Amino acid sequence: MKKKHLILVSFICLLTGIMIAVQFQSTQIPKKRDTRDLWEVRTAIQEQQKLQQSLYKQIEQTDQTIEKYDKQTEEEKLQTIKNSIENLTQEAGLTEVTGAGVVLTIEPIFVESDELQQYPSLTPDHLNRLINELNSFGAKEIAIENERITNLSPIRYVNGKTYVNNQPLPSLPIKILVLAENPKKLFDYLQVSNSKDNFAIDALDITATLEDDITLPKYDGTINVKWIKVKEIEEAGEN
Amino acid sequence: MWLPALFLVVGILLGFLSNITIPEEYANYLSISVLAAFDTLFGGIRAHLENKFDEKIFISGFFFNVSLAALLAFLGVQLGIDLYLAAVFAFGVRLFQNLSIIRRCFMENLSKHKKLEKFKRK
Repeated sequence: MKKKHLILVSFICLLTGIMIAVQFQSTQIPKKRDTRDLWEVRTAIQEQQKLQQSLYKQIEQTDQTIEKYDKQTEEEKLQTIKNSIENLTQEAGLTEVTGAGVVLTIEPIFVESDELQQYPSLTPDHLNRLINELNSFGAKEIAIENERITNLSPIRYVNGKTYVNNQPLPSLPIKILVLAENPKKLFDYLQVSNSKDNFAIDALDITATLEDDITLPKYDGTINVKWIKVKEIEEAGEN
Repeated sequence: MWLPALFLVVGILLGFLSNITIPEEYANYLSISVLAAFDTLFGGIRAHLENKFDEKIFISGFFFNVSLAALLAFLGVQLGIDLYLAAVFAFGVRLFQNLSIIRRCFMENLSKHKKLEKFKRK
């Protein structure tokens, strides 16, 4: 090839290369822009700070436990371990719990009308929403009829029936037992909650009563931890 | 022979480093232009192999094809017809044709070389 031709082809190649690169860059998805304003960023920072505080507290508590282990004799160590195990089983919902709380009764609403009314049933969607709401209102422990809700409790719809912890729920009325640190607050929240309206659409009525002494049953299935793994996290400053 | 390839790489690098992006609406035009550029390049290689390379035709072909393709796409958008498909089709067919001719030329060259070597050995 003549030198002039070669340079010409090279120049066209250069142009083509630039075009390809620009095209490639343009078709890639652009990076998401941060569109938060000052206030949103500030609240985000505050949230993170709160999280940091609570994490620091947790670290402090764990450090104290470790210190206790170090200082104690064999027998006392055993006692500390037993205490921790007891705490953990309680948290996991493997023990009966008694305390002050709220009892919710879900009943069907019957309306006097000529239309034929079906007997309403409780769907998992209802229950999921209600449980989420209860949790956000400060519920500590929840049990639906005789089924204790743990972190791994499934709520499913099987063949026209609602199953909790793989046990079918009886037909209405159903009782939901809720323990809370501050039962009065939870009770007040429930009086104005969205769930009441949402349940009413499907002809279900929620009535809440405050009670000082309710006992929640324990979760008596086996907790499947086969797929749970300890996450190894490299701490800052470890390396 | 390596100079065009080198320049292609340099062009791609330049494009990436310059961080230029074009709006999504115009991505169509550029894509068709890239196709036209490819078509011209392969056409040039083919012409070179057939000893028919003409720099004027090559250069004018490049710019004319690229702008015609973009124009066709623009016209298509205005009229509500996917006219750029016509360009894609035409360039695509030409690209394959050119490539097959380039391949054939290479094969012929290769077989010629072999025959020559055999001849020399005898």
